[in-house]
Amino acid sequence: MSRLSLEALTLAQGGRTVLENISGTFEDGAITALVGANGAGKSTLIQAIMGLLPPLSGKVDCDVPKERRAWLPQQLALDLTFPMSVEELMLSGCWPTHGTFKRYGPTDYRHMHTIMQRLGLSGLAHRPLGELSGGQRQRALLGRTLMQEAELLLLDEPFANVDTHTVEILCDTLHEMASAGATVIVVLHDMEQLAQLADCVLLLAGGHGQWVEPETLLERHHAPTRRHAHAPFLSLNLPDVPPCSTY
Amino acid sequence: MLDLLTTLNAWLVAPLTDYAFMRRALVGGLALSLAAPPLGVFLMLRGMSLVGDAMAHAVLPGVALGFVLAGFSLPAMSLGGLVAGLLVAGLAGSVSRMTGHREDSAMASFYLISLALGVMLVSLRGSSVDLTHVLFGSILAIDDTALWLIASVASATLMVMALIFRVLVVECLDPLFLRGQGIRGGLVHGVFLGLMVLNLTAGFQTLGTLMAVGLMMLPATTARFWSQRLEGLIGLAILIAMVSSTGGLLVSYHLGLPSGPCIILVAGIAYLASALCGRHGSLLARVRRRATPLETDENACTPS
Repeated sequence: MSRLSLEALTLAQGGRTVLENISGTFEDGAITALVGANGAGKSTLIQAIMGLLPPLSGKVDCDVPKERRAWLPQQLALDLTFPMSVEELMLSGCWPTHGTFKRYGPTDYRHMHTIMQRLGLSGLAHRPLGELSGGQRQRALLGRTLMQEAELLLLDEPFANVDTHTVEILCDTLHEMASAGATVIVVLHDMEQLAQLADCVLLLAGGHGQWVEPETLLERHHAPTRRHAHAPFLSLNLPDVPPCSTY
Repeated sequence: MLDLLTTLNAWLVAPLTDYAFMRRALVGGLALSLAAPPLGVFLMLRGMSLVGDAMAHAVLPGVALGFVLAGFSLPAMSLGGLVAGLLVAGLAGSVSRMTGHREDSAMASFYLISLALGVMLVSLRGSSVDLTHVLFGSILAIDDTALWLIASVASATLMVMALIFRVLVVECLDPLFLRGQGIRGGLVHGVFLGLMVLNLTAGFQTLGTLMAVGLMMLPATTARFWSQRLEGLIGLAILIAMVSSTGGLLVSYHLGLPSGPCIILVAGIAYLASALCGRHGSLLARVRRRATPLETDENACTPS
């Protein structure tokens, strides 16, 4: 089953075509890694999937309602000086059900505390966001998407600047969400995390995209010269890689 | 003791009991102090502190046009100010979206054009005394019509702020989250700017066009030294604005000075005192800062 597919999608940013003719299907319950060098168009594609960037041609076919699509942006996109606590951030995830006016009830608070416990955030409910470590902040943001009961989750480099404890929690939670049927798309730079997480990979390079199996990419990455597992993808040539079955 | 009470009465109470214009000015000031500071808190948190200043200048040509057409008529001047402010805010927003330039540069350009136009219009018709009234306010200008206007604007502002509060908060922290939810951030921003223009227009009779923004921003920036929570910031900013309005009016009465600058200077003194010895981030707080003890809960041992 799939509720998200791309049909001959071409995207442009500021008058420059960034991605051309991307097609494919994101399976429900699968974690797809979005891989590519800096400037390859990963964030642009995420924006288009979220419906924030109209395509130049082609289309994004998404059956997930807008309020169930969650985007975990890069941490730099947030204003951390804003006086908001962890609790307030997480409760804002109730937006789809509560909107602007509805009061948060005891059920919402209980739900929030369960999620906080699961993410290792207990006791931090009233801590201002600016006083959290990078890892704690990332977990709080993921907590918001859990409150939102997201069915389509897009994460932009969620493992940048976070501790190993957070990486573990994030990976476990993403697996759980995918098992529950959510479509998860995550921008990744790290081979080890890709091996741990991804069911499928959409490789972006030179404005084009190709779907590959994670194993194929991992094999290709390690041979012929053994590169370090954490080395980022700096240059990728698409035609050498056999396509993934989902394409 | 009795002497002290008599002096206090003469300083603090008598001006209000003796003169109706002082009572009206006080009520107007307090109403403005309820509505303007919450807007100032959000402007400050959105990094738009100077946008308020720009808008205060932008209101001027409308006020001046009202003055040229209808003399010293408050409804005409207020309406003119409102239209001019909304026009500049709308134009700046549109130019920024069309050209991709930052909104603050577009707003700076438009307010300068607007200010020059305003001063020119006032000088065409009025004397320098009129210009002083428009620029710096006059408590004598607060009649019942003005009071109704201020009270209506304050009530409307508080109600609209309560309605859009959650959207504003989420938009300040993470605008993309809202856009993802299908809420148009531009609309919220527009309503917010509209409220700001309304308050600047309502404030110019007491404070003058250039000073009206002071009652919005100074209490907000002062509160930042005392509270780190949004509710605290808003509550404190309102309190500081109320004290400044009352204090400033009394000083203005006793020393025979224009009311606008007096009110803003009292708020300014509160700001300077807070910057020196406030609880958070002040000079004194930095000197006194001690390391907090290690935390023992499980979250404390997860470094980033």
